[in-house]
Amino acid sequence: MYDERGIRRVVNAGLLLAITLLLALTRIGFIPAPTPAGNATIAHIPAIVGGLLEGPLVGLIVGLGFGFASFTQATVPMFRDPLVSILPRLFIGVTSAYTYLALRKATKDQLRGLLALLLALLLFAAWRIYATPSDDGSRSLLVPVLIVVLGLALVGGLYLWLSRQDPRIVVVAIAAAVGSLTNTILVLTMASLLGYLAPGVALGIAITHGIPEVIIAAIIVIAVVAALRGLGQRKRSRVSEDAF
Amino acid sequence: MASYQALRHVSIGQYIPTGSLIHRLDPRTKLVCFGLLLACTVIVSSYIGSLAILLVITGATLIARLPLGYLFRSIRPALPFIIVLSLLQLLFFHSAAAAPDARVLWHRGIVTITTASVQAVVVALIRFAGLLMLTSLLTNTTTTGDLTHGIEHLLRPLTRVGLPGHELALVCTIALRFVPILGEQAEAILLAQASRTITPQREGAWRLIDSATRGARLVVPLFVDAYRRSEELVLAMQARCYHGGRGRTQLRALHLSRRDLVALALAIIILIGAILSGYVALP
Repeated sequence: MYDERGIRRVVNAGLLLAITLLLALTRIGFIPAPTPAGNATIAHIPAIVGGLLEGPLVGLIVGLGFGFASFTQATVPMFRDPLVSILPRLFIGVTSAYTYLALRKATKDQLRGLLALLLALLLFAAWRIYATPSDDGSRSLLVPVLIVVLGLALVGGLYLWLSRQDPRIVVVAIAAAVGSLTNTILVLTMASLLGYLAPGVALGIAITHGIPEVIIAAIIVIAVVAALRGLGQRKRSRVSEDAF
Repeated sequence: MASYQALRHVSIGQYIPTGSLIHRLDPRTKLVCFGLLLACTVIVSSYIGSLAILLVITGATLIARLPLGYLFRSIRPALPFIIVLSLLQLLFFHSAAAAPDARVLWHRGIVTITTASVQAVVVALIRFAGLLMLTSLLTNTTTTGDLTHGIEHLLRPLTRVGLPGHELALVCTIALRFVPILGEQAEAILLAQASRTITPQREGAWRLIDSATRGARLVVPLFVDAYRRSEELVLAMQARCYHGGRGRTQLRALHLSRRDLVALALAIIILIGAILSGYVALP
């Protein structure tokens, strides 16, 4: 009833939680980045890694730990509210786990198809925003154009990357990005729903803080998962194996 | 060199033994009371309500004989940030929809100060102080071992409905045990890299990929080390026939005494008061 995998999951969850606490409680969890605060957090990365490697439940537990650490360490009054600091963090590992599970077996062509679908959705959204006049009847061109340009850049970049990289690494990056976005979007949504931030301010933080954090999270999660699972390894020198 | 040594002093709320009444409470009682008072501080949004809760928490801190100065020393570095943020909130937080009956106190350009925004800021500050003291009150009066026992007991009902209560408590214990070990490991990694002329640079915020790679240089060895330790721990647990929480007994049994019941009753009364105060128009 209590097999080795069960024990391993419990122990790994504990160690990931320990890394979370370490990153959240010391300054090594902060990376300089062009955000309003001057740095981006990487303390949510163990939650994403836990979701990817050990499944949604471990992701949830580690996310809970991250939320609790950010709650106890909070210097900003809005993070002193558990509804802002703990509740949204539960979903970081869960969303990235399910994204990973859904895409894990995908081939390159299926991923390309998904990219095309994403581009179509973005173009449709841009068209909807352009076609719906705002309250005073004027049509703004800025936001739709921004969406189209950023969407084309994102999809084009991912397409190029996909064609020369192991698809499993691209999937890990997508799952990490989803987890990081879950953190940003849910925290800011809760903060503006509970009245700690005005919606406009929240949107500004989402763009200036969320995007650098997504990029950093994707890079570091790829590095960690590749190291732990031996993904994308090139041929290594076999000196060590021969020597011992 | 000092920058490499800060890691070792990770304190998740140091235990301060003063042997007070609150220290002697059952950890389960403390956890439940903590949760109830936490709910109170989040529920109340009036001046009088939040001040009353703050008074209750201060009283409990005094009973626990914890030094108040020690508690507030930890937020001193963050104080300028809190002040700036409160000012921003005061100047730009005004939504007529949220508080239709608020009076406008000052209006110039895009800056509007209403009674509602003043109240939001003041109550948020009081709430902040209350939550800070409350968290310290729990972690400063309870040892980590007691906390884990308490959590495990409180999660026991979850086991009945098929959720892993014992495992959750075990995850917490492992995490708390390994934080200092992994902290030392992180320090060793940084020192090893420093001795090979790789230093953690703190500038260049705009070079995003560079700073991410620099972060990965510390984080990846940390994860690999954690997974290696985890394999060792799994092996050790299997060698000792670990088979989960079923039928496990404990060396130190927890007992609820009369003072635990009194503390619980008090916390529940305060929570009911906080909920009721929402229906009365308090200033």
